[in-house]
Amino acid sequence: MDLLTIDHLSVWIGDRPILSNVTLNVVAGEIVGLLGPNGAGKSTTIAAALGLIPRRAGSVNVLGTDPDRARSSVYRDLGILPEQNGFYDWMSGDEYLAFFASLRGEEVTPAETASWLATVGLGPTKGQRIGTYSRGMRQRLGLARALIGDPQLLILDEPTNGLDPRGRHEVHELLRALAARGTGILMCTHLLDDVERLCRRVAVIAEGRTLVEGPIAELAGAAAHPDRYRLRLSAAPPNAGAVEGLRQVKSDGETWVVDLDPGAVADAVWRNLICAGWRVEEIRSEGRGLESLYLSLTDLPKRKAA
Amino acid sequence: MTPATLIARKEAGELLFSLRGLAWLLALCAALSVFTLLLIGSTELSLLDNAQVVYDMAGLITVMAALLAIIIGIDATAGERERGSLVPLLLVPTPRHNILLGKLGGILIAWAAMYLLSVPYVWAVGSTGQNLGEGLALVALLGTPVVVTFGFIGLALGCWVPSSRAGLMTGMIALAVSASPLLIGPSLRQSAIGRIFDTINPISGAVNAYDAVIIDSQAILAQWPGMAVTLIWLAAALMLAVAGFNRLSA
Repeated sequence: MDLLTIDHLSVWIGDRPILSNVTLNVVAGEIVGLLGPNGAGKSTTIAAALGLIPRRAGSVNVLGTDPDRARSSVYRDLGILPEQNGFYDWMSGDEYLAFFASLRGEEVTPAETASWLATVGLGPTKGQRIGTYSRGMRQRLGLARALIGDPQLLILDEPTNGLDPRGRHEVHELLRALAARGTGILMCTHLLDDVERLCRRVAVIAEGRTLVEGPIAELAGAAAHPDRYRLRLSAAPPNAGAVEGLRQVKSDGETWVVDLDPGAVADAVWRNLICAGWRVEEIRSEGRGLESLYLSLTDLPKRKAA
Repeated sequence: MTPATLIARKEAGELLFSLRGLAWLLALCAALSVFTLLLIGSTELSLLDNAQVVYDMAGLITVMAALLAIIIGIDATAGERERGSLVPLLLVPTPRHNILLGKLGGILIAWAAMYLLSVPYVWAVGSTGQNLGEGLALVALLGTPVVVTFGFIGLALGCWVPSSRAGLMTGMIALAVSASPLLIGPSLRQSAIGRIFDTINPISGAVNAYDAVIIDSQAILAQWPGMAVTLIWLAAALMLAVAGFNRLSA
């Protein structure tokens, strides 16, 4: 069942196109990652999908309804963690959640607000003023607000922003559990690691357009370079073309990108490099499919030149 | 509890429990204290007729309440947008007019707090003179539409302008122009332009009614033309605020 469908969405602000062709969809029980560089239009896509900014063309369907026509009814079954996520510092976390639950027409008991706080790891902070919360605690509270009313669809803009590793892990577990219960989740993030851990499908947008959308396994598989590594050297290599096991070597200014011969054992090649006088400071695998895909798609100058 | 009531309660809480809100009420008390001390302590001002003193205080309270309303209105929209707390509110499943009504409720609660704070000051300077009760009743009766008008103007400005600073600048200019009948001399007010300005001005309606009731002891109900002007401004400001709220975006 499609919970969110964005089809050829176009948004202009003044006479400037911000989004020109964005397409993506989220079905029940899946977590979809929305990726893109800064200024690509991710948050604008979410705002337009929610009816917070007017669209120029294209269609948006949230839970079977166009949010421009019935905003209130759409918001009832929707949980949202927006990019701009401010709080009322003078309230406590439980008062804040009770306030938003009441605005949704839900009668809440202190036990329920305590349970929401506990779900996002803020259980011990009951009664503590939000003004004293850390950035990570605020992020968790925003997530708790999005979960009020057990929504069918969650739209989360950078949900793990500001969280420590344990917090990130807990949020990952929470999102997995929600998806397993049938909640559809659109997660807008910069963190490829989050997407790889949580999402089955991904959409990459840049300059206001959807560049690719589909299952990560398919997209990343096509872009994978399992034998590609990025090397940081303290001096230029003395004999870049004459090391056994190396197929291709090129510099991008600060680092060197090397492709190994098919079948070459990486450890043996690194030994050869050092014996040949390469002064290697760092070796990083470029073979991860999603990262390769993302980097190649969002290398806009190169794409334009092509 | 309706969404509008909940938001009004939240706005009132923001006023009473946040440093920003309390600072405005303290500033109001400081201004009233200084004005009261001048009226009592200054040799020349202390010779004023008590009715004149109550009239002066009524005008001051109305203008200061309009100032507070415009500031709270701008803060409730542009200020919340800048603090990032407006978007979560806009994403609540309730029509925008409920949010507007709630914000207005917050302004009215601030006005009620301000009115109650100012009563002892008016009593202190005018308790021995005539028409103190009528003066206080008139401030409540005519001050409220003035406060609501400027509250709506503040809310609308907060929606239309890009930042709360720009909204405050525009609001201060609008208020200074509106309050100018209190500042310009009687002779200027009697000129043709002065009379026109006096007639169409939202604050003049209230101030002229204070003059007629407190000093000239006329009936409150006879002041309907001045009230009508204020109500027309109120309707216009309401339309502006509704239009602003409908276009509020992320």
